[in-house]
Amino acid sequence: MNAVWAVFAKELVDALRDRRALAIALAMALLAGPVVFTLVSNLVSGIEERVQKREIVVVAQARAPTLVNFLQRAGATVVDAPADWEAQLRSGRLQNAVVVPPEDFEQRLARGDTVPVEVAYDESHDRAQPLVAAAVRTLQAFNRELGTQRLLARGVSPQVLAALAIEERNLAAAQARGARLLFIVPWAALIVAIVGALAVAIDVTAGERERGSLEPLLMNPVPAWAIVLGKWAVVMLYSVAIVLLTMAGFLLSIRFIRSETLSALMQLGSRELALFCAVLLPFAALMAAVNMLAATFGRTHKEAQTYVSYIAMAAQFSAVVPIFLTVRDAAWQLLVPSVAQLSALMKALRGEPLAALDLWLPAAVCAAGTVACLAAQARLLGREAIVFSRG
Amino acid sequence: MIEVEHLAKSFDSGSGRKRVRVPAVVDVSFRARDGAITGLLGPNGAGKTTTLRVLAGLMAPEAGSAHVGGIDVTRDPQAARAVTGVLSDARGLYTRLTARENIDYYARLRQVPAPAAAQRLAELADLLDMGALLNRRVEGFSSGERMKVALARALIHDPQHLVLDEPTNGLDVMSTRALRRLLLRLRDAGKCLLFSTHIMQEVEALCDEIVVVAHGRSVAHGSSAQLRQRTGCATLEDAFVALALAPA
Repeated sequence: MNAVWAVFAKELVDALRDRRALAIALAMALLAGPVVFTLVSNLVSGIEERVQKREIVVVAQARAPTLVNFLQRAGATVVDAPADWEAQLRSGRLQNAVVVPPEDFEQRLARGDTVPVEVAYDESHDRAQPLVAAAVRTLQAFNRELGTQRLLARGVSPQVLAALAIEERNLAAAQARGARLLFIVPWAALIVAIVGALAVAIDVTAGERERGSLEPLLMNPVPAWAIVLGKWAVVMLYSVAIVLLTMAGFLLSIRFIRSETLSALMQLGSRELALFCAVLLPFAALMAAVNMLAATFGRTHKEAQTYVSYIAMAAQFSAVVPIFLTVRDAAWQLLVPSVAQLSALMKALRGEPLAALDLWLPAAVCAAGTVACLAAQARLLGREAIVFSRG
Repeated sequence: MIEVEHLAKSFDSGSGRKRVRVPAVVDVSFRARDGAITGLLGPNGAGKTTTLRVLAGLMAPEAGSAHVGGIDVTRDPQAARAVTGVLSDARGLYTRLTARENIDYYARLRQVPAPAAAQRLAELADLLDMGALLNRRVEGFSSGERMKVALARALIHDPQHLVLDEPTNGLDVMSTRALRRLLLRLRDAGKCLLFSTHIMQEVEALCDEIVVVAHGRSVAHGSSAQLRQRTGCATLEDAFVALALAPA
């Protein structure tokens, strides 16, 4: 145990004296909060504002005064489409749906024809969806009104057409509505846990090989596991400190930004941040061990960086895969590190209750993985190819 | 006392289909007495470093055995390491730490009590004339300064056996002299010193006994005078060339 402590104390001093790595890690931790929350609150409030304003963009309003009249009665603000509306839609400058009535709109309407009305939009822009839906809903209301009038003119009760009375009821809790975009918040926290201590993990493993200090180190009468454990404790501590700092940054950013939309969308107070820490700490321990194991194969910092960056990328992207597959709460997710953590963080953010299993099972998986990685690394240090081949 | 008997070790070279087994050490045997400096003399690639790595317990030999102070290094490497100090070819210092911190780290790993370590470091700093270096960070040290730090680190637990791999590589005259002084002092204190080199002057100046290693075999063992006499050569260099080139 003395040896573990000696390694820990030495590596801690060494890591803290690597000012450049420390500065980068601190900058990342402190900036993550402000950047993420500014981004998310902009995205969210932009959508809300426009849906609430109910702006509808119409090409050549003069062609269809009846339509414009209805839209205004329905409480929408009718805006003239700019001349280059198609280009603006594609570039994303214009995100609203654009309503294009045909030139002979009024004549065809008077004849009692079915008049085609085009609703143009660019689906590839994220914010377009709710705006388009709102525009189409309004047009459909106009359609119903006209249809009803035509039926009445022919002496038919409008009830004939209303076989169904469809009522929409959105069951998503207020917090869940914006949460689809909000995965960015826990994702950022997760990424910090993955990469926060990378520089240290590489320095204590591949760095020892590159400097040629591993060989003399192993000539001390100390078992390899004690060396590995001492080093891991430092990487883990570093990573945990970065995660805690990031959480503190989150808390400050939320207070500072004070977006009402944002606070309606998600729950992120000190209770949730404590949950974030509980979820992220075992994960940080695992990532410390995984990164160290991978970096041990590197003969130089550079080589180790290559190995480790693939792992970091895999961990970051596997976490969001279930979001895009729209799989929710499948049991296997609890067993996959990074996927389990992101889903638990999302639940915390949405204000959903977290079962004990949601916390303990992923933590247990992380603990088992950590032990396995550390054991594998201790074995590696006994390999001549690792100890003696230098960069 | 260090005893090596019929040591053999080979390595894989290349990869895939081109992989071949290259013998590094074929048959090395020698004995290094306490109170003596034994030189492992051989050309580059003769198997000196491999032999020393086996002695440090970091490589398992394929055949033969190695004992340090009566302890079998393959059976109980931890115990063997505890009574040995090694100055490896790679000095391997931590550049962000000061010289003192580098040395203290090994003292702690070897569980030397802090007061004893401090006293020992003061002595070594005096002998190696490195007092001014102690509180400076190793970053930017010359190779002579690095050697001194690494040597003090290897001696901090006052080991009975000291193994040095090419200790004078890249050293200037002053550093080489400081090193020699210390080694002679350790010998007079009854320590067992073994060092590998390919430099004749080193061997002449320091060694009580010489083991000539060539092509992975120990081909001769004796004092400088004995080796010259055996080969009928006037200088150690000629004697060495004759021994190293002789067919196995």
